[in-house]
Amino acid sequence: KLNVGVDTIQHGVEGLVYLLTESSKLMISEVDFQDSIQVLGFSDELNKSLLQLYLDNRKEIRSILGELAPRLPSYHSLEWRLDVQLASRSLRQQIKPAVTMKLHLNQNEDQTAQVLQTDPATLLHLIQQLEQALGEMKMNHCRRIVRNMK
Amino acid sequence: MELSPYAQGGWRLLGDPRRFPRRPFAALLRAAFRSLLDHPQAGNSFILDDPDLKDIDPTVLKHCHAAAATCILEAGKQKADISAISTCLEDCKLDKERIEQFCTEYQKNKDALEILLGSIGRSPLHITDVSWRLEYQIKNNQLHKTYQPSYLVTLNVENSDSGSHPDVSFSCTMEQLQDLVGKLKDAAKSLERATQM
Repeated sequence: KLNVGVDTIQHGVEGLVYLLTESSKLMISEVDFQDSIQVLGFSDELNKSLLQLYLDNRKEIRSILGELAPRLPSYHSLEWRLDVQLASRSLRQQIKPAVTMKLHLNQNEDQTAQVLQTDPATLLHLIQQLEQALGEMKMNHCRRIVRNMK
Repeated sequence: MELSPYAQGGWRLLGDPRRFPRRPFAALLRAAFRSLLDHPQAGNSFILDDPDLKDIDPTVLKHCHAAAATCILEAGKQKADISAISTCLEDCKLDKERIEQFCTEYQKNKDALEILLGSIGRSPLHITDVSWRLEYQIKNNQLHKTYQPSYLVTLNVENSDSGSHPDVSFSCTMEQLQDLVGKLKDAAKSLERATQM
């Protein structure tokens, strides 16, 4: 339909892809983008369309690129259940409370579920430790770094 | 509380003052409890090598040790009280003094025995501890200027069979960690309410 050779189309598409992914990856500003494509010698109208294309798709491209980064299994959700062990083959008449959990993790598009258990004392310890972890982001040290990195 | 015929036979031997005078009887009781409750240690001499037991025939010794151990474990498993144990040993023709000796020794070791028996058995991986790491991501080779805090949480877990197990690690955002902590707190609150019922 365009009356152009296959090779040209391929190069054109590759060029566009490279332009958009590199710009999105580096998150360059509008001004920098315009300066970069200036050197290509296109018309003003074409430059404007390219800029708009960049701005419209930047967020989505960045989120796709984000998926390519090295990743550890990530948290998905947690189910829990309270159990009380009453007896076992080796000991009768017990009262042993426990919390049984199913931890759902995402790893590279697969979801895994792991069954874990803990006792009441350890549960409280876990909560205390993780609350401390959450509190760290609010500390001055972290706040300062976040501010200065932007 | 019932013992097998083999165990009862062993106790009848233990009850016989000609086969088992006072000192060897006490020594065997001690040995039986130690062999069940002490942690196996490398280089520990065999527990039945007590000098008070050297005059006893080895076959008899083995039979009686098995009988004593069986009785200890059965009593522990059933959480038997003194009267049940006494009745059982009376049936094996043990005199009052020897029954009392056993019961005294049993009372001393009852709690340790209960802990030992309670720890035997299968259960899911048990969480023993948690460690966490907070990082601030700046860039990676696919994406620059990511600027996001991220947590790496590691749960230390133990296997009831083999003791150790590779830890469970995962990353999460602040919101996800809040979700996790919220759910754990719900579980803790439920536990508290259940204990008050």
